[in-house]
Amino acid sequence: MTRPPADAPRPRRSPSGRPDARRRVGEPRRSADGPPRPARPRPSGRPRPDARPGRRPAPARRPASGPKTIRLADSRRRLRLVTVCLLLVFAIFAGRLVQLQLLDSDALAAAAGANKYVRVTLPAERGSITAADGTVLAASVDAYDITADPTMFTPEASHLPDAPEQAAALLAPILNQPKEKLAAALHLNPKNPKSQYALLTARQSPAAKNQISDLKATLLKQSDTATCRGQRLLLGKPADKGGRQFLDPSCATPLAGVFWDQSTRRSYPAEGLAANLVGFVNADGVGTGGLELQYQQQLSGQEGHSTYASAGGRRVPTAGGSRQDPVPGSDLRLTVNPDIQWAAQRAITDQVANAGAEKGYVIVQDVRTGQVLAMATSPGFNPNDLSSARADQLGNAAVQDAYEPGSTAKLMTMAAVLDTGAASADTHVTVPNTLQRADRVFHDDVDHETWYLTLTGVLAKSSNIGTIEAAEHLGPNQPAANKVLAGYLDRFGIGKPTGLGFPGETRGILAKPEDWSGSQQYTIPFGQGLSVNALQATSVFSTIANGGVRVAPSLLAGTTGPDGRFSPAPAGAQTRVVTQQTARTLTEMLESVVTDEQGTGNKAQIPGYRVAGKTGTANRVDPKTGKYSGYTASFIGFAPADQPRVTVSCVIQDPVNGHFGGQLCGPVFKQVMEFALKTLQVPPSGSEAPNLPVEWKP
Amino acid sequence: MPVAGERTRGSLPGQGGRARITVRPGARSMRGRTPFAVLVVALLSGGLVGLLMLNTALNEGSFTLARLKKQTTEATDQQQTLQQQIYQQSAPDALERKARELGMVPGGDPAFLAPDGKVDGKAKAAEDSPPVPRSGNEPWQRPGASPAPGATPADPGVELAPAPPAVASGSPFGSPSGSPSPGAAR
Repeated sequence: MTRPPADAPRPRRSPSGRPDARRRVGEPRRSADGPPRPARPRPSGRPRPDARPGRRPAPARRPASGPKTIRLADSRRRLRLVTVCLLLVFAIFAGRLVQLQLLDSDALAAAAGANKYVRVTLPAERGSITAADGTVLAASVDAYDITADPTMFTPEASHLPDAPEQAAALLAPILNQPKEKLAAALHLNPKNPKSQYALLTARQSPAAKNQISDLKATLLKQSDTATCRGQRLLLGKPADKGGRQFLDPSCATPLAGVFWDQSTRRSYPAEGLAANLVGFVNADGVGTGGLELQYQQQLSGQEGHSTYASAGGRRVPTAGGSRQDPVPGSDLRLTVNPDIQWAAQRAITDQVANAGAEKGYVIVQDVRTGQVLAMATSPGFNPNDLSSARADQLGNAAVQDAYEPGSTAKLMTMAAVLDTGAASADTHVTVPNTLQRADRVFHDDVDHETWYLTLTGVLAKSSNIGTIEAAEHLGPNQPAANKVLAGYLDRFGIGKPTGLGFPGETRGILAKPEDWSGSQQYTIPFGQGLSVNALQATSVFSTIANGGVRVAPSLLAGTTGPDGRFSPAPAGAQTRVVTQQTARTLTEMLESVVTDEQGTGNKAQIPGYRVAGKTGTANRVDPKTGKYSGYTASFIGFAPADQPRVTVSCVIQDPVNGHFGGQLCGPVFKQVMEFALKTLQVPPSGSEAPNLPVEWKP
Repeated sequence: MPVAGERTRGSLPGQGGRARITVRPGARSMRGRTPFAVLVVALLSGGLVGLLMLNTALNEGSFTLARLKKQTTEATDQQQTLQQQIYQQSAPDALERKARELGMVPGGDPAFLAPDGKVDGKAKAAEDSPPVPRSGNEPWQRPGASPAPGATPADPGVELAPAPPAVASGSPFGSPSGSPSPGAAR
């Protein structure tokens, strides 16, 4: 700031150093405490009393007397008023600011985020299901839903008289669908004519999608000629000016309204192989049958999501966002050997057809580990083509059906008799033609003179009467004997869940020994009056084959988690049911069923291997009526008898052509067992069968 | 600086201030205006060009992204298609059919060669006489009525070249037990 010389008469200066222009017209000086006036600059302590009045006559603190002064006082008040108003307004603003930024900020940020951010679900890849050797039984692959906008197929929109039919004719061979069905979908939906969405076919392969997209592009290119452009210009014009309603077929693009959405498809490349075990998924890709259902949680994984800011439908790259990657599902590896599984399915399918039976199942179990190597049911289904399967084919009857096992259950009675020491393999049993017990007269399968059999013979010839007589020796009286037998049945796993946890699995039906009715206590020893599932029955034979130690059956070898590490499933629980000596004796007795010319299971012989097994021919309870009707034919056995490796069971329900277990299931057993032994490269038996005596001379 | 005139009038007695006050602010403001305008224009045009370049870069990036995504999808689709074909053709069922086409039959009862050269069992040529006679029934429904199962694996969803208009819904329904399935081609 520059100052004029001090001696000169100076104009009054405002604090900012400027001459106060307003004051020069003779206004009274206002008090020094005017609102906008800061401290007056002190000019280096020089007194200037003379400068104050100067040439001005007006006294400093006199109230104004003219109209001008009144206005000025008003302006001050006005200023204050304005200030107060402004302060008020700003106070409101500030208050609102506090409210928005501090009090409601969370809710508002969330509401803003909902508009600003787009949340996209990232689907998790469903785990695959493989057989023991890695053969893929179920896997998820990319697929496309082929859709259409029916409003683009109307004559007005497409300029074609029959656009839906033309498009359907083009699409039918690609989609493998009847033309009529596609055309119907392409016509306007009568219920909702404004609908712009019609699903033509769900989950098509990328190849089909590519074909459609290529075809669409080709058509579009073909119609982009000068002639066609000319035709399009004439559309909608009145007829006298050369206008037209429709395009020529060569200029038409009937596929313009066909689109596709990405989706995924569950593929079963091995088709019906082990389909009864693997199960299937529903339209949403959620497991609804078999292992797909049982392990839904592990297979499905955890879906992730991605959040990003979006403006005008486009992603804002700098606005941040978040992303949580999906966790893919675990892969299941089963204990199933695909080759043995296939052989089992082949054999049971053929035999069920040959016998005119309702259904049948084959189970192959590893004796030492309890692992299920194959579980086949017939009729089977193709999980790639569920629509053509009947509902009753979709289950896994091998663990979902409870049936009366018949003579194969005699093994448990014999195990109890031998293990308690009530009898031995060569104990003499006299078997009359009929036997009266409780209110009933019991027979054997065949009418016979009185037989003189050893206990081995009772098993080999599958005598009901002999088995009843043997079971009676289990206790001092019938209730006590029942209790002992029930104890063994329980330890063999009858009437209890197998431990697989398979969806819809039955535990069978076994009453408590106190509740066994008069005749039931005599029928249970030979396998009627109780129900089992095929896996329970198989496990009984595996227990004997494994030296009397029951290994809980298992179907899952392990899982491969998202980290790629394979974690094996825990080994099956082991429980000793009978002593090793009992198991060995029983094995030899079972061998005579197959080897003895009087045995019922001759058809199960396999050259080179010693085979132990038991036939079963049971009266079947018709599940529909609950009454006995028809038969259950079965054969369960294991090989090689000297060093058992595999148990194979075959059950055929309600056969028409023949009904004996040895006749129908013996060949199935032989075919599957032979295949399994060859597949597993089991060395042949090194010894001959012991050929225990089955008869005695009275 | 509108006060310049007033100041001139107000500071009549101080002649020294006149030259400074009247000339300087005017000259300074005239001199200062041009670079400022240039600066503003430069800033504006720079901003615009920057924005344009940023947008171009972003769009270029999104084009690349879209192209790469498409490439990934195509590669994945192709990989999955081929993988599925391998799975289908290595499935036991397909292998058995291939083997049969080559004239092979399942081996019958096994014979064994002992370490000392002795043969256990009867070694003979395999003949197609399984213990269970073949019934002609298939273990599961074959999709479509494709008569050449060896040429095209059977899953219709993954075939590269879909079969000629085979009516999918006309495939055999679950064959009732006992009667041979009408769709059993082989």
